[in-house]
Amino acid sequence: MKRMTKYFVSVSGVAFVALAAGPAFAAGTNAGSNITNTVNVGYQVGGVAQSGIAAANTFTVDRAVNVIVAEMGNATSTVSPGQDDAVTTFDVTNETNGYVDIALAVSQIVGGTAAHGGTDSFDASNLRIYEDDGDGSFDAGDTLVTFLDEMGNGETRRIFILADVPLGLATGSVADVRLTGTAREGNAGTTGGAVGAAISATTGGNTSGVDTVFADTDGVFDGIAFDNDDYTVQAAALSALKGSTILGANYPISGATEFYNIPGATVEYCIAVTNASGGANATSVAISDSIPGTTTFVASSIVIGGSAAIDDNGTPGNTADDVLTSCDNSSGASGGSFASGTVSATIGTVAAGTTEIVTFRATIN
Amino acid sequence: MKYFIAFLALLAPASAVLGNQVALDSEVFVERSVEQDDGAVTVTLEEPTRVVPGDNLTFVLTYENTGAEAADNFVVTNPMPEAVLFVEAVDGGAVYSVDGGTVFGALNDLRVAGEDGAERPAQAVDVTHIRWTLTEPIPAGASGQLKFRGVVR
Repeated sequence: MKRMTKYFVSVSGVAFVALAAGPAFAAGTNAGSNITNTVNVGYQVGGVAQSGIAAANTFTVDRAVNVIVAEMGNATSTVSPGQDDAVTTFDVTNETNGYVDIALAVSQIVGGTAAHGGTDSFDASNLRIYEDDGDGSFDAGDTLVTFLDEMGNGETRRIFILADVPLGLATGSVADVRLTGTAREGNAGTTGGAVGAAISATTGGNTSGVDTVFADTDGVFDGIAFDNDDYTVQAAALSALKGSTILGANYPISGATEFYNIPGATVEYCIAVTNASGGANATSVAISDSIPGTTTFVASSIVIGGSAAIDDNGTPGNTADDVLTSCDNSSGASGGSFASGTVSATIGTVAAGTTEIVTFRATIN
Repeated sequence: MKYFIAFLALLAPASAVLGNQVALDSEVFVERSVEQDDGAVTVTLEEPTRVVPGDNLTFVLTYENTGAEAADNFVVTNPMPEAVLFVEAVDGGAVYSVDGGTVFGALNDLRVAGEDGAERPAQAVDVTHIRWTLTEPIPAGASGQLKFRGVVR
């Protein structure tokens, strides 16, 4: 029979069991741990204290498999056409309450909206997976891997995906990549050897031992997690225009005010290099130009730098119909070289949305 | 899942003790929430055969006076297993310890050292022991239950 019980609050008493500080695991109590609950009772009969009694029960904590893959930085990786070893960063976390291996795979996403906007439009090549050596950034100490060995309860490791970017890509081209982590059986923390066997959830009813359940945060209960990151191309789009101006003539009429392209006249050539706006800065830009065979290069006449006026014919963004209308090299500096009929000059950096010029002079034979 | 029911003598037998007068049982169940077709959520208690971190547990302590005489000054003390966070007592009248069982009191009256070293009011997660003291004797043959809830760390 049952009886109603009443209570009073006691603030005295003897502790029967001291509590040990529980180890803190990020992903919870380790699978296989026994949780024992013990209850103690003291009482009297006829005013005489009786032997204390205790009752206990024990159950085993089962394994909840959960892997987290997270792209880091929340930003696209900006790359140049032809760049090798472009890096994206992920963190992989074992949210399982016990050791697991995590098999890693990287794949290309084809089409669709990329992780950080834009539409996937190309595939990077030579995808590789590196495990960080602990310093959080990619460097020579990192290891090429196919899986993460013996990930502990709650452990996070940093992963880098390296990829090579093809040449010839326009600014704004996007390659979306996916890192997939799959939980595999661990070896109780003993590292080495191949990746563990596939994990399968316990089926056909609970067992008295350690059962395995999938507890994926992503809601798809398979022990697999993934996240995407992307590469976005910042290309430089260079275009060049060339023009010439007659400067003066060895004309027999003194006081002439009009100049003509006649033998003896000096011509100034201007080469204008434009880097379209919205792209990357172009660095180490160099030009070379063969002068016409019927002209003679004027020594030390190469000037690098200055400004140019360009008529876009009403179609900004379309360089095909642009016309160079004038050049001003007054802010330039002498430089370059001339050899074998070819003018060579190094402009250096042409920032996106700017134009740099090189001028040189020749006389008409 | 097996249960280990242990009856242990913790105190030296006093005179006039005629063996254990009280039978005691400790059980634990896992709370399973199941959404019904109408959207309502029902919670059922299941045997703890499949338990993972984060699962809610209900601990049930059952006592019965198997002796011929009433048992009084009945004090039930349950230390929290280290892998279990205390949530709440289902049956009222409990007092708590947050210092490993040295001092018991109402949770509102207890304080613990916070991570920064300063004292703060104790919370359910700080509980190390729960205790009930029955105010009335348990007649011969009578039984009862005490329950509290926790969650697997």
